[in-house]
Amino acid sequence: MNTTKKKGFDTVAFTFIAPAFIFFTLFIIIPTVSSVYYSFTSWDGVSPVVNFVGAANYKEIFTSTRFSNALRNTVILTFFISIVENAMALGLALIVDNVKWGKNFFRSAFYIPVLISGIVSGFIWKIMYNYNFGIFNAVLENLRLSNLKQDWLGNASLTLLMIGLVLIWKGVGYYMIIYLASLQSVSPDLIEAAQIDGASPVQRFKAITIPLISGAFTINFTLSLINGLKVFDQINVMTDGGPGFTSETLVYLLYKVGFNEGRQGFGTAVGIMLLFIIIILNTVQQKFLKSREVQM
Amino acid sequence: MGRKVKPGSIILLVVTILLAFLFIYPVLFALMSAFKSNGDILKSPIAFPTSLYIQNFRDLFAQSDFARAILNSVFLTVVSEILIVCIVPMAAYGIERRKSRTTAFIYIYFLAGMMIPFHLYMFPLFKEMKMLHLFGNMAGPILCYISGSIAFGSLLYCSFLKGVPLEIEEAAMIDGCTPFQTFWKVTFPLLGPCTGSMVILNGLGIWNDYLMPYLVLPSGKAKTITVEIAGFVGQYTARWDIVFAGTVISIVPALIIFCMFQKYFVKGITAGAAKG
Repeated sequence: MNTTKKKGFDTVAFTFIAPAFIFFTLFIIIPTVSSVYYSFTSWDGVSPVVNFVGAANYKEIFTSTRFSNALRNTVILTFFISIVENAMALGLALIVDNVKWGKNFFRSAFYIPVLISGIVSGFIWKIMYNYNFGIFNAVLENLRLSNLKQDWLGNASLTLLMIGLVLIWKGVGYYMIIYLASLQSVSPDLIEAAQIDGASPVQRFKAITIPLISGAFTINFTLSLINGLKVFDQINVMTDGGPGFTSETLVYLLYKVGFNEGRQGFGTAVGIMLLFIIIILNTVQQKFLKSREVQM
Repeated sequence: MGRKVKPGSIILLVVTILLAFLFIYPVLFALMSAFKSNGDILKSPIAFPTSLYIQNFRDLFAQSDFARAILNSVFLTVVSEILIVCIVPMAAYGIERRKSRTTAFIYIYFLAGMMIPFHLYMFPLFKEMKMLHLFGNMAGPILCYISGSIAFGSLLYCSFLKGVPLEIEEAAMIDGCTPFQTFWKVTFPLLGPCTGSMVILNGLGIWNDYLMPYLVLPSGKAKTITVEIAGFVGQYTARWDIVFAGTVISIVPALIIFCMFQKYFVKGITAGAAKG
């Protein structure tokens, strides 16, 4: 307020901010800072005694095959779903934008999976993938392709792909909405002008639409990458990290060592690695946003 | 544009209908299976239910504490939302309307929270909750949901507040409103669209959340819907019918709210993305 402008921090503003500040500090910042400490300990999560072990957890992270396996699974899953999700989301946004009837209906149809909880979506697909009475095998059988029938989640070489499909199905609608909003902000005058100049639809799309929606690209890629890194519920219901360790991601590894194997010290160290990855992704995104976005 | 329907748009429509069907199919599959007997689910997974068979829902409520779980989920979502809508916009107002070095720092402090994944700090958080006697208690997750909404919420409200004219607030102040009254009676009603987006996004997140209630509310009586369903999947692998009934109960409220408040969902996502 102009009349009450003060240099210091005044009591009124403080009382407004205080509850949020206290909760945020108490339930996010303090546990985060403690995680840094616990990552240097062999804490089991239960005992009151916490032994300091120096960088042993980090040494294990960089040498153990279990971590590198989880990192590889995470990277494969995350990149796979990000790319497919974005390609599909843009495609669906273009379709919904151009379809003549039932725009709202189609937008809702593609968005509905977003509304479903991770646990429930994992469960529904787990049954659809089931060998004996799942939809996938039932369809193959009806098409007389019984030799292609699979134990979809039990086949180690397919597990990640199958989990990825569920995540894509559940995520695409969200990114589609962002692309759709971005497409609708592209001025029709520009498109028309290009049309008059004789540009083909593909040329118009490449030269006008793509640059103008580049902001949505960066946002969606960052969001989908970060969401991919954090996947938990579906893996928990569908495969529990298996078969073997084939679907164990960083978050799942962190959870398993922490709660099932009593090594929360090591778990927090894995968490710190995850935070580093997220910070790097965010920094890259900020750079991209600044350099690539086209303003109208 | 002529009145004539082009063949291109018919093809596009057909393709879109097919795609939409593929997207909705898993939901339809769950809905249909919830009204089939266990035997029918196993025998003919693709077939439509032959009659309105509701035994699954009866069994669900008779054999598990599902009524309790529904109440718990509703309680967690509603109470967290009410508190979020009290606390977050006020904080954003304090930050946005009293610009100083301290408020600028607090704003950045909050924003930093967006990068911290829950999984990173969950172990120390549980230890802390045990210390504060919040473990196994509904207050625990509620406080965590509030804290979790602050980073993104203050970003959303702060940028929205920039567009709210100061003159109305100044007039209210001159008329004798305290800052507290000014905020709640004058500014807060103007933040409606922003609040709508916040409530929708957080509500969906809390209703669908699994890990927090699973880990913090381990005692039998305080389970939520998602925790119950995850428990079923492990436990009753022979009674898919019951699990599908639970699934439908978890999906339907979200669907109904989505149909009623579609525009807020879209606004929430796009507002979030533009600032993301």
